[in-house]
Amino acid sequence: MIRIQTERFDVAELTGLLQARAAGRAGALVHFLGMVRDYSPDAGSRSLFLEHYPGMCEREIQALCDHARQRWDILDTVVVHRVGELPLGDPIVFVGVAAAHRGQAFRACEYIIDALKTRAPFWKRETLADGRAFWVEQQAADAEKTAQWDTP
Amino acid sequence: MATGTTIDVLYFAQVAEHMGVRRETQPLDAPVRAGDWLDALAARCPALGPSARLKLAINQEHAARTAMIRPGDEVAVFEPVTGG
Repeated sequence: MIRIQTERFDVAELTGLLQARAAGRAGALVHFLGMVRDYSPDAGSRSLFLEHYPGMCEREIQALCDHARQRWDILDTVVVHRVGELPLGDPIVFVGVAAAHRGQAFRACEYIIDALKTRAPFWKRETLADGRAFWVEQQAADAEKTAQWDTP
Repeated sequence: MATGTTIDVLYFAQVAEHMGVRRETQPLDAPVRAGDWLDALAARCPALGPSARLKLAINQEHAARTAMIRPGDEVAVFEPVTGG
């Protein structure tokens, strides 16, 4: 399941959903929760705005989840990503993976969030306390981390 | 909407701010190499900076500079993504 939404999401509800969908088959459930953080600690952040490319976003995330299911022995995935104006500390992304065994679930979950960060078309703009705003730049470390998944 | 002699072009985030529009229809009556098309766009709008930095999607899929843009395509231009 993939959802892009402006509303806040409830982690317990999403893990419960994943648990119910894979009940009886799954022995492990791993999830990653990303939260809005301050991208410029020296200047003081006010909020974060997330823009996305509707349609392509869902397709890209679906392709990443499909790839994860081919590569690891997992049962189900749930990815929820928020867009729009988000205050500091708010949940921004949820990646949940159910599998028979934990090792496969851990690896697939890490792959999905790594690849999402460098492939899914979202862009962050940060507004500072003094009103200045700037677009966040992709970190070289994120691109390197995704590239590492290509070399087994 | 793109027709047989046009393409739909979408700009996102900082690129949209530099272009001053989020979407436009451009004439295109023959296939063009994505890298060449992007170079022409960057030349038209110097605020975009070097075109090598820009990313491109054709029909909602990531595309390399060697890919071809064809009449009727949906082309998106953006900076490296920063979701998650």
